[in-house]
Amino acid sequence: MCEGGCKGAAKGRPDMKPVYPRAASYPQYAGLVDRKNAQVDRQVFVSDAVYQAELQQIFARAWLFLAHESQIPNPGDFIRTSMGEDDVIVVRQRDKSVKAFLNSCPHRGNRVCMVDAGTKARGFICNYHGWSFGIDGALRGTDGKVYEKDQSFEKAQIGLTPVAQIDSYKGLIFATFDPDAPSLAEYLGPFTWYMDIMLDNDPEGTEFVGGAIKSEIDCNWKFPAENFVGDILHAFWTHQSGAQAILGGGVDLGSRYDELAFQASVYGHGIETNLDKVGNTRTLGYPELVDYVFDLSEKAKDRLGELRARAIGAVSSCTVFPNFSFLPGQNTFRVWHPRGPGKIELVVWTLVNKSAPEHIKEQYRKGVMMTFSPGGVFEMDDGENWEYSTRVNQGFVTRQQPLHYALGLESADLERDLPGHVHKGSLNDANQRLFYTRWAEFMEYDNWTDLQSGETAPPQKKAVEAAE
Amino acid sequence: MMIELCDSSAIGEGEILRVDVDDFPAIAVARHEGALYVFPDRCPHADESLAEGWLEDGRVVCGVHFAEFELGTGAVHNPPVGCPNLSFFKCEDRDGKVFATLAGGPVNV
Repeated sequence: MCEGGCKGAAKGRPDMKPVYPRAASYPQYAGLVDRKNAQVDRQVFVSDAVYQAELQQIFARAWLFLAHESQIPNPGDFIRTSMGEDDVIVVRQRDKSVKAFLNSCPHRGNRVCMVDAGTKARGFICNYHGWSFGIDGALRGTDGKVYEKDQSFEKAQIGLTPVAQIDSYKGLIFATFDPDAPSLAEYLGPFTWYMDIMLDNDPEGTEFVGGAIKSEIDCNWKFPAENFVGDILHAFWTHQSGAQAILGGGVDLGSRYDELAFQASVYGHGIETNLDKVGNTRTLGYPELVDYVFDLSEKAKDRLGELRARAIGAVSSCTVFPNFSFLPGQNTFRVWHPRGPGKIELVVWTLVNKSAPEHIKEQYRKGVMMTFSPGGVFEMDDGENWEYSTRVNQGFVTRQQPLHYALGLESADLERDLPGHVHKGSLNDANQRLFYTRWAEFMEYDNWTDLQSGETAPPQKKAVEAAE
Repeated sequence: MMIELCDSSAIGEGEILRVDVDDFPAIAVARHEGALYVFPDRCPHADESLAEGWLEDGRVVCGVHFAEFELGTGAVHNPPVGCPNLSFFKCEDRDGKVFATLAGGPVNV
């Protein structure tokens, strides 16, 4: 079994250290994004080879969202989630730190945690041969009878595979499988300035309320990710009838659209907003929520400044590259887990301020379920479009045809002093172009030096680097 | 005959301490609500240290398969298949020292 492959290990004892995959370079896939002509090749949505490269280049390297701190407050509290297609357990430690491991026994690979979430876990016991792991991931024992009599068995070096790095930003826990990845702060860059619109508009911070809603959509993961990164355009067609049903009127751009609306992008993360104060919150259908956000917006001016205070409930959306998205104002936070080129598992939570009154939290929870859940009116509108976009692109002749990503080519805003690449107007493909540019950077580069200094890097940073 | 195991002050409330004694298998000493308990440092299910487990709600919890043993009666809860009850040694605190009767094996007290 070990012939030629186990040299150096005493008596053939296995080396059980974690293995973190190495990135490669796929210029042929990077070339599927044509920056010059603002086109994206449809292969990126249907090709299994491209998808496998995404798992290696993107999901095994990028910082991925795992959980909100509020979901696992006490030692032993855990949730099960995915990083790409990899099953992961996220668990609060006795010292209050958080660890995350592959949910796979190092013996035969079986799942060691069967449930989605739980509290006060003592550890995780594999159902197959009784291997038992502490909440710190270390192997505590096995069946208790056989291995203990095997003198060659070394328990100490066996454990669940930990993620390479884990960290949190204002309540949101992220992890990466890449030991060489830059810090979470550097990965997010100045995009945190925009994330703070939701995460730091109140001194007491945020929490997730209610449970997680899971669903499957037969679409490529990039369609929803690019939709939330900067496609408000679709709302004025896709969601028009849904909006009419809920609001009694169509989607509204806000009266100061030309003056205020913009898109911003940092390392492929993106936000589009109309800065109209309550446009998104209004769609949840509770006048009291709208009053709450108007009030919050006034109070938050000190913390966030005038501009970001206007964004808390505005018509807007965000994606943190690659697959974590949220809607300010509607307060839905979600991950589009890839499940092959043509399928996602969508997990959705509702974020509220801890300090919000109970009935306000309750209205957010219900409002999100009415709009952005599997039975929610807007989610159903979107899901059908993304499914057909995915399915139709599978056509042999169809997938040879170019796709148009060229709205707002001349809209760069060089005057406005905001972080990242800023474009005028939210009705724009600018963020989506930068999302796919970031995608191409991940396909092309096998190292983080190149990854953090490419076209999607924030402009100020590039200027600083040029000066050095 | 009772033999001395350790200083009583070495066992904090809610703690389990492993004590090695000549000529006997490893012993565990625990304190719950002030009272001392002495038992084999070996889960009756199999050869695992109970001192590496912990006390919870008046029970010793084995850290490997999470069997729970009531302090005093030794009754097992949440056992893996075939796991018997835990037994205890007679013990007492004499002038700040923990003494226990190890010869003859544990008896439920």
